[in-house]
Amino acid sequence: MSALPGPAAAATVVSFRRRVEAALADPTLKTAIERTTGNAERKRAQAVAAFPAFEAARERGRRIKDHVIAHLEHYLLEFERNAIASGAQVHWAASADEAARIVVELCRQARARRVTRVKSMLGEEIGLPHALDAAGLERVETDLAEHIVQLAGDRPSHIVWPSMHRTREQVSALFRRAHRAPHREETIEAMVDSARRELRDKFLGADVAISGANFLIADSGATCTVTNEGNAELCTSPPRVHIVTAGIEKLVPSLPHAFALLRLLVRSATGAELTQYTTFHRGPRRPGDRDGPQEFHIVLVDNGRTRMLADDPLRTMLRCIRCGACMNHCVVYRQLGGHAYGGTYPGPMGAVLTPVLDGLAHSRDLAHACTLNGKCEEVCPVQIPLPTLLRGWRERSWRDGLEPVTLRLGLGLHTFVAARPRLYRLGLALALPLMRGFARGGWIRRMPGLGAWTAHRDFPAPERRSFMARYAAGEGRRAPADEARR
Amino acid sequence: MATAAHAEAVAPPAPRVALFVTCLADAMRPSVGFAALRLLEEAGCTVEVPLQQTCCGQPAFNSGDTRDAAVLARRFVELFEPYDYVVAPSGSCIGMTRVHYVEALAADPPWAERARRLGQRSFELMSFLVDVMHYRPRGRALAASATYHDSCAGLRELGIHAQPRALLDAVAGLRLEPLEGEDVCCGFGGTFCVKYPAISNAVVAEKAAAVERSGAQLLLGGDLGCLMNMAGKLHRAGSPVRVYHAAEVLAGMAEAPAIGEAR
Amino acid sequence: MSARAAILGRVRAASGPHRSDASVVHAEARALLADAASIRPALGAGSLVEAFIARLTSPRVAASAERIATVAGFPAAVGAYLQARGLPPRIALQPEAQLRALAWAGLELHDEVAPDEAVAVVCARWGIAETGSLVFHSGADSPVLAHFLPLHHIVLLRAADILPWLEDYAAATAGQPMPRNVNLVTGASGTTDIEGSLVLGAHGPRYLHVVIAGG
Repeated sequence: MSALPGPAAAATVVSFRRRVEAALADPTLKTAIERTTGNAERKRAQAVAAFPAFEAARERGRRIKDHVIAHLEHYLLEFERNAIASGAQVHWAASADEAARIVVELCRQARARRVTRVKSMLGEEIGLPHALDAAGLERVETDLAEHIVQLAGDRPSHIVWPSMHRTREQVSALFRRAHRAPHREETIEAMVDSARRELRDKFLGADVAISGANFLIADSGATCTVTNEGNAELCTSPPRVHIVTAGIEKLVPSLPHAFALLRLLVRSATGAELTQYTTFHRGPRRPGDRDGPQEFHIVLVDNGRTRMLADDPLRTMLRCIRCGACMNHCVVYRQLGGHAYGGTYPGPMGAVLTPVLDGLAHSRDLAHACTLNGKCEEVCPVQIPLPTLLRGWRERSWRDGLEPVTLRLGLGLHTFVAARPRLYRLGLALALPLMRGFARGGWIRRMPGLGAWTAHRDFPAPERRSFMARYAAGEGRRAPADEARR
Repeated sequence: MATAAHAEAVAPPAPRVALFVTCLADAMRPSVGFAALRLLEEAGCTVEVPLQQTCCGQPAFNSGDTRDAAVLARRFVELFEPYDYVVAPSGSCIGMTRVHYVEALAADPPWAERARRLGQRSFELMSFLVDVMHYRPRGRALAASATYHDSCAGLRELGIHAQPRALLDAVAGLRLEPLEGEDVCCGFGGTFCVKYPAISNAVVAEKAAAVERSGAQLLLGGDLGCLMNMAGKLHRAGSPVRVYHAAEVLAGMAEAPAIGEAR
Repeated sequence: MSARAAILGRVRAASGPHRSDASVVHAEARALLADAASIRPALGAGSLVEAFIARLTSPRVAASAERIATVAGFPAAVGAYLQARGLPPRIALQPEAQLRALAWAGLELHDEVAPDEAVAVVCARWGIAETGSLVFHSGADSPVLAHFLPLHHIVLLRAADILPWLEDYAAATAGQPMPRNVNLVTGASGTTDIEGSLVLGAHGPRYLHVVIAGG
C-alpha cells in the first residue's frame, strides 16, 4: 500500500524519506544513538528510582508551567521591569529573523570582532550561527559538542548532546585539522584537553558573549544557564557585552520555582541531580565587581510561541523545559537520530514544534512517522500530552488537504463500508479467499497492496471465513443444554 | 492519557456483556474471538455479539480524519450502549473507545457524553476478567515457556500490565520468561507500519531480537496488530518462536495452530 | 507597531478577556511552592555536614572533601593538598578579607587568576546538602573567574553555612538584590560529548576540593 503524495507534500515526502533511508543505512549512527539514548534512559531511570516523590514533583512542575502560561503577560512585564532595574537592556523579537538581526546589530554596535557562544537551541532556532557568520564575525562555539558541530560544518542532532552522531575517530580528525596544538594520544581525555587549550584564550579575548537561558526569573530579572563544562561562565564574564536570547516561555515566577523545575530537568536529561554549573546572571557588572560585562542584553523571542499560546491544547507545548527525555525514549528517534527530522528540534518535541516553526506542509511527515505509543508523554517531566499534540497535527494536515490522495480515498471507502455492516461482511467474504490465494503455508510473502508490509515481514494468512460469518452461522454459541443448565 | 479505573464496585450477577471482536480478530484470527467468548462465559457473563459491529474508527482517527472517526464512533456507541459492558480482546480498540471517543466527538457534545458514559463500561478483555469479574482460568494447562509483550495503548491508556500476568499465572505448566524491553513499542502503530515501513521494520527487528533472546517458545500479547507484526518479522527471520493472543492460551485453545501456521 | 507591542498584544489576545490582579497571580505562584517537602528528594540519614559530604564525594559529583576543626586550619590544609600533588606553593587567593587574614606562611599568594592558573583558593558563601553544591556570589572581593579558570579549585566552606535544600538558599537571600552572578557549583567540570565517555576538566576546574570548617 504505497501512498501517492499530494501536490504540496510531494517535496517533503521525498526528502524525509531520503533522510530516513540515509539514517537507517548508517550503522555508526545507530551505535552512537544507542550509546547516547540508552545511557540517558538508564541514568534517568536510576534518578527517578532514587526520588520517590518524582511523580508529585512532576505534577507540581506541570502546574507551575501552566500557571506561567496562563499569566504570561504578567510575567513578561514583571521580568522586563526587574531586568531593566538591574541594569539590563531588554529587546523583543517577533520572529527568528528579527531576533538574529537584533543580536547582529548589538554586535555591530559593540564593534565586535570575536563572538563566543554558549550552547543554545534557541540560537539554532533563530539561525544565529548563520547570521553571525554572514555578518563577518568570528564565531566561536565553546560547548564541546557545539565546537565539534562547528568544525564539522553540520547541525546539532540532539538537544542535550548535539554532536552525539560523531564518533571519536571523526572528532579526532576534526581536532587534528583545526586545533593549534592538538592531542598527541588517541584518547578522549587528550581530545578534551586539546579543546580546553584551544578555546581558553578565545574566551578571554572575545568582545561579545551570546548565551541562551534555561529559565528567566521574573521577580529578579535574572536569566539562568544550566551547563556542565564551565564554558557558560568563562564565556559570559570576560567580554564587554553579554547577550542572552530566550524564548518567552522560559519564564518562571521566582528562584524557588526555578529550583522545582531544575529538580525535574536535570534528572530527566542526564540522570544527575544538578548539572555542575547552575548560574544565575543578573544585569551587567556592578560597581566594584572584579569581572563581568559592561552591557547585559536580553532578547525575548516569540517566533511562533504566541501562536501556540492561542491554541488549546498546543499551548501545553510551552511547558517544555528542553530536557530531551522524550527523544531518548522514542523508538523512532532511536532508529533515526536527529538529522532525519530536518529541523532545529528532533524527536517528539521536534515533531510538535517544527510545524509551528517551519510550516506544516514542509513537516507533516514528522507527526505521522510516529506510533503514538505514548512513552514520550510518560517520561515528560511536565506532562506534555505529546501524542495528543501529534495527532492534532495529523488532524490539521487532513483538514488542510495535505494527506495523500490514496489515503483519503482509502479511508473514505473504509468508513463508507464500515458504516454498512452488510457491505462490510460482503467485502470481507470476497477479500479473505482472495488474500488466501497469495498464501504459501500460512504466510503471505508477497501480495499486491501489501508491499509495504511484506517488504520486511511475512503476513499471516487469514482463514477462509471471518469470526462474524462463523458466529452468525451458529459457531461459538452455547448448546441449548448448556443454556438450560445456567 | 487516562488510566482506567479498574475495579467496578460490584458487577451485577451474570452481567450482559457485548463482545466487540475487533476488525483484526474478525478478519484475521477468529479464534481470538471464540477464545474471548469462552472466557467471558466461564467468568459468568451472558455474552452477546452484536452482528452489526464493524470497526471502532481508530484508523481514521489516527490519520487525522476526525469526521470519519466520529461516524464510526456514533455507530459503535449506539450499538453497544444497551449492554452492561462492552469487552474487546484489544487494548488499542478499547483505548480508542474509552479514551479517544470523547475527543473524536468533541464537536458533538451530546454524543460525546454518551460515549463518555459507555467508555466507563468498556473494557479490554483481560482487565475485565481480572478487575471486574475477579476470574481466573481453572483446569488450564500448557507445558511451554512464553514471553509477554505489553502493547502500548493497553499499557499506557488503560494501565494493563498485571492482569495478563495474573491470568497466565493460573495456567499450569506455563513458564513466563521476562522480555527485555517488554514495554517498548513493537513498531506496529496501526497505519504507521505501512506508511513508514522502513522505520517500522527497524523497530520490529529489535523487538524480534529481544523476543528471541528471551529463550521462550511462545510470544503472547493482548493486541493482534502487534502480534501479527512481531509474528511476521519473527517468521521472516526464520525464528521458531510461535505467537498467540493470550486469550487463546487462557481459553485452552493453544493446541490450535499459532499465528501464521497453516490451517 | 513595535515587536514588543505586537508580542504583548498577541499574548493578551491568546489569554482571553479575564485578567487576574497581580496580587492574585502572586498568591497563586506562592501557593505552588506550598508543601515543599512533598515534592523533593530525601536528604538521607546523618547530620547536614555528613549529607553534604556524601553528595559531594559521590561518583556523579566527583569532588573531594576534608574536615578541619576551625577556619584557622585552612592554610595548612591547602598546603597539604599542594604538597600531596607535587604542586608548587603558589596560589591565586580570592581577595576576601577573612580569607586574606589567615596565616598563609610558606605560600606565595597572588590576586589575578591567570588563564592557565594551576590553583585558585576561594571561600563559598553556602553549601547545599541536597545536591552537594557550593554557592558563590560575584562581588568586589569575589571574581567569578576564580571558580572557572584554575585546574584545581580549593574551597573553604563553614559547616554552619551548609543549607539543607535548594529553596533554603532562596530563603537565605530573600529580599536582597541578586549579584551579577550566582554560581551553584556541583562538582568538577565535565563532559560526555565524545562517545558518551565522561571526561573531567572540560573547561572549568578538573579538581574540586572542599575543606569544611567546624560542625
